[in-house]
Amino acid sequence: MATTIPAPPTRPRTLVVASAFGTGCVIMYFGCLFALYFSIRADAMAWGSQWYPEGAIQLVPGGMNMATMAMSAITIGWAVHAVLNDDRIHAILAMALTAVLGVAMINQTVFYFKDMGLPIDASEAATLLFTIVGSHMVMVAVGVLWLGLLLLRALGGQDTSRHRDLVSAAALYWYAAVAVYSVIWIGIYIAK
Amino acid sequence: MFSCEDHGRHHGALESQAFLVSGLATGIAPTRFALRASVGITADPPSLVWSEGARIFRRGHCNRPLTREVSMTTTDTAASDSGSTALEQAITTSDPLVLSRIWGFGGMTAVLVGAVASFLVGIERLDLASANIFSGADGLFQFWSAHRVAFVLLGALPALMALATTVVPRQCGGLLIFPRAAAMACWIWLIGAGMTVVGFLVDGGLGTPGGGGQRQATALTIMGILLVIGGLLLASVCVVTTIVSGRRAGMGLRDLPFTAWTVLVAATVWMGMLPVLAANTVLAYVDLRGRPALRFGAEDAIWEQVSWMFTHPAIYVLALPVLGIALDVVEATARVDQANRDVLLVATAAFGFLSFGAFAQTFFDTPGTPIAEEALSVVAAFAIVPVALAIVGGLADTLRRGAANLGSKPPAETVCALLAALLVLAGTAVGAIRVVAPLELLETSVTGAHFSLVLGASILGIGAGFYHWGEEMVGPKGRRPGLFLLGGLAVAGGTILAGVADLFSGLLDQSDFTGVDLSTAGNPGSGVDGLNVVSMLGSLVLLGGLALWMLVGSLHTAANQKGAT
Repeated sequence: MATTIPAPPTRPRTLVVASAFGTGCVIMYFGCLFALYFSIRADAMAWGSQWYPEGAIQLVPGGMNMATMAMSAITIGWAVHAVLNDDRIHAILAMALTAVLGVAMINQTVFYFKDMGLPIDASEAATLLFTIVGSHMVMVAVGVLWLGLLLLRALGGQDTSRHRDLVSAAALYWYAAVAVYSVIWIGIYIAK
Repeated sequence: MFSCEDHGRHHGALESQAFLVSGLATGIAPTRFALRASVGITADPPSLVWSEGARIFRRGHCNRPLTREVSMTTTDTAASDSGSTALEQAITTSDPLVLSRIWGFGGMTAVLVGAVASFLVGIERLDLASANIFSGADGLFQFWSAHRVAFVLLGALPALMALATTVVPRQCGGLLIFPRAAAMACWIWLIGAGMTVVGFLVDGGLGTPGGGGQRQATALTIMGILLVIGGLLLASVCVVTTIVSGRRAGMGLRDLPFTAWTVLVAATVWMGMLPVLAANTVLAYVDLRGRPALRFGAEDAIWEQVSWMFTHPAIYVLALPVLGIALDVVEATARVDQANRDVLLVATAAFGFLSFGAFAQTFFDTPGTPIAEEALSVVAAFAIVPVALAIVGGLADTLRRGAANLGSKPPAETVCALLAALLVLAGTAVGAIRVVAPLELLETSVTGAHFSLVLGASILGIGAGFYHWGEEMVGPKGRRPGLFLLGGLAVAGGTILAGVADLFSGLLDQSDFTGVDLSTAGNPGSGVDGLNVVSMLGSLVLLGGLALWMLVGSLHTAANQKGAT
């Protein structure tokens, strides 16, 4: 016996929408930290105080991390493109490469934290630096875990153009991570 | 042959037809309702349209044999395992109704705890010159700050989330998106709330003016608050995604009932403000741990960094969904369509916009330019008054046109919702008075009066929402709990007593935090002694009203559960 069912409602990309809201929350979190950093720094500069000790912040580690993140922005775009075209091999390659670049970025940051000779309790500037960069490291770690999940799905053949939302959502989050790091790079490592 | 999810959609269509029939049968000509129903959108009150079959389906107990494999989607709720215990089911469920009970009872319990703390602080204020029931200023400060945290982060916001996770998806004509994430959010919040309460009780809290608290306990409190924020944010994402992307096809944002609309606006503002609060607390935590704090984690600095969340303008965002609830409740009970609907949608959105308060962080003021006295803050305080007035005007218009339907004894939820809206209006007026620079009221107990009025309005509106949609949340249809109106009037009366007394105390120069000596209390005039007695009595009446609500609500829920089994 035939059963008449009302047409299913169109549900536009709930994963991407939720991911956008979640990423927005993360952006607001970093927005607050950046606002405090630049505000306190401006006050300190206005009073003629030293913000960081001379030579404490090196440009090279920050620059290398920025280059790493920029490359990862390309590879995550590659992953989305591959999934859209049902190119499973390229999708796996691109997501694995992005995850590796994320791990490399975390590795470089941890190494630099230990190497820079600026303890976390040296000054307000150091506390803010460790909080901001550490928070970003957590953000990237979450992204790497997310990519790991996507890789598992890809290996199971589930990351296809019909189920591309999870990859698109992860890409959105990853682009936000790159954008946040670009502010860190310019505002902290370059402007010091 | 159709899936469990299709089954629910099918019921949704039946609901719409049932509502049309019920509207015609009762002689109402709800044009907008009919239009909505024609596109498959159900409208308030849900109790008229939610068939038992749909209820059972939505509670995750759809046992209909499926004829084809159904993949899990973002809206699936796990069916209960018949072999599991009640506790296991409660912990593992992703049923929005169960979650809403946890949010609701947890939130209202926290409100009750906050009211107890507020009452104790009120007793201490009877003698401003010495410490009577607390060991000193630090102990008093812990309870004083605890009552604000309990009211806002552990109480009002979660209680609103209870309505947001059940009523809002219904109003959108769909199901809650990401129910498992919503369950995780609920448990994260509950664990965080427990850690926060324990942190306050073991001499921690959010710092003390004398630095006499336990650092480890303070760190525990901060971690608890971070978890609370995380849970609330995750739940907000689920609710907003449900509204934005899970609405029934053909339903535009302008078709949303006011509760769903105001929750959309408020949750968007929460998602803008709570991460900022999280950043403040993370910074304090990083500075607090392991060594003497430099600045952010100093005992006497933590509260001031987060205090913006508990004052103008951020506090208004708690009142926004209450205005939506009031508009929906009055529209449903007066049985007339809300006029000037688009104007009210814009007004409530403006109310939300003016509630964004993450910028008003007094701790980071540049010397000479306090943020609370800057144009943005002052203009926002004044601009929100006419906006609130416009919304209350809309309510009054609906009441006027539907007066005949309300009769001589209007429903309890209508009375409470109206009182809540009026308290919001009073709160915005006090907020505007507070920022008048020549009066110098920012540090006085006018801030406390403002907090009391807005929070009281929020609690009252939440109570009205629970009562109006209660049978959908706590059990099958049956006798509605008595004594609700009495409790609501006590909550409103207590709020007004405490708010007005604190307002006049502030005008007599009493500080917001009075400490245990006259200089900390601001050396106020002698008239504050009587006002503090009135304020304490107001806290007591509020506490009594809340206790009555909790008792009646618990008994009603238990009776319904027993009846259901």
